[in-house]
Amino acid sequence: MRYTDARLLDALASAYALGTLEGGARRRFERLMRDRADVRDVVAQWEQRLGQLALSVPQRKPSADLWRAIAARTQPAQAQQARQARPSRWTSWLRPAGFGFGGLVAGVIAASALFLAVPGAFITSDQLAMRTGERLPQSYVGVLTDTDGRGRLLVSSLRHGRTVTLKVLGATALPVSGDERLVLWALPADAAPFAIGTVPASGAGTLTLPDTSEKLLSKVSRLVVTRERSASPAAPSADVVLSGACAKLW
Amino acid sequence: MNRNILMSLQDLIAGAARGDHACFAQIYERTHLHLFGVAVRMLGNEQAAEDVLQEAYVSIWKNAGGYRSSVDGQEIQPITWLIAIVRNKALDALRARKRRNTHEQPLATGPDGEAETEADTAADPAPGAAQLFDQAMHALRIDGCMSALDGSFRQSLALAYYQGLSHTEVAAQMNAPLGTVKAWIRRGLDKLRACLSAQGVAP
Repeated sequence: MRYTDARLLDALASAYALGTLEGGARRRFERLMRDRADVRDVVAQWEQRLGQLALSVPQRKPSADLWRAIAARTQPAQAQQARQARPSRWTSWLRPAGFGFGGLVAGVIAASALFLAVPGAFITSDQLAMRTGERLPQSYVGVLTDTDGRGRLLVSSLRHGRTVTLKVLGATALPVSGDERLVLWALPADAAPFAIGTVPASGAGTLTLPDTSEKLLSKVSRLVVTRERSASPAAPSADVVLSGACAKLW
Repeated sequence: MNRNILMSLQDLIAGAARGDHACFAQIYERTHLHLFGVAVRMLGNEQAAEDVLQEAYVSIWKNAGGYRSSVDGQEIQPITWLIAIVRNKALDALRARKRRNTHEQPLATGPDGEAETEADTAADPAPGAAQLFDQAMHALRIDGCMSALDGSFRQSLALAYYQGLSHTEVAAQMNAPLGTVKAWIRRGLDKLRACLSAQGVAP
């Protein structure tokens, strides 16, 4: 099945989130979720809706053994990963590309170690692709820096995907006041800048593209984030908060 | 740990994604009573619910980096992400239990010749699914909006959500045709989305 019909996808996502999608159909849908960020988005929205229903369920106290069992299964692995992790400059996020070609054996361990070495650099779709597919995904990646040269925003998008994943880096929120919003712009080499979407001041987020990133971003060499007051600005304002290069990660 | 107490659940998940086990411990501290309640409600017994919760929290630790706080500019609350993980693990456990039961008794029938369902074991913990559903609607202030739906729509959705029943099981429990139940649930979900959206609670 091609799963291109938005209404079908929505119906499947809601049945998946509710739990009524069963058996082979559920497994097929889980595979689809692994491959497609847009499908994960629709599911996340249904989980957000249905999660409201759980708020009326009375709390219950499990035995104290439960935490001990969970801690035993999570702490030792964490200690192992910490030993493998190396603190490094943010530019080293390019380095794992070599891992990808060589084959990420023991995918989870290696990916987790990378993840620790470069906090926040590999998230959601990319991270999932690495963990499950044991490879680096074909994607566009941009690291945007502030005026002091600090890496503050990671932008990534699978080449054939229509979703852009955003991750704000660093301990502080991006500077924006209540009546402004942060807009991410793509600056193609031979055309006018176009807006990709709104960037959260902190945390992570996703944006949906009107076409695949391969089509939209292949000629984009730079990305900027500006502060905008207009709801739909036609061109970036001069108030540039972040900027950086956009690169194709094979 | 004292520092973590001041952190939002979202920041704690980000901390766990970086491998900070103290953040993960704080996530457990804040959420386990609620999540255990959800698991017990679905599975009908505490031991099975503890097994499910253990799997769920290990998965949360491993996949903390997969949480996104917003989708298309819409907030995804961290607690709903956690609830979804627990429900999926509970659904796996319910299906595994059903496979075992089917294996042992190909077609379980009660003394009246009516098919017994998994719901019989999961249904006894009070309060009932319909009651939980109504309480949630009231708390969300969408009870007025949802009351436009016939009670059987709400009941079928409540059974599927709180007890993890399949379409077939909901149909057996409500003594209604399978196709009808599927349509009820579909309509119930659509209405829930519309009401939550009108209330500004969820996309």
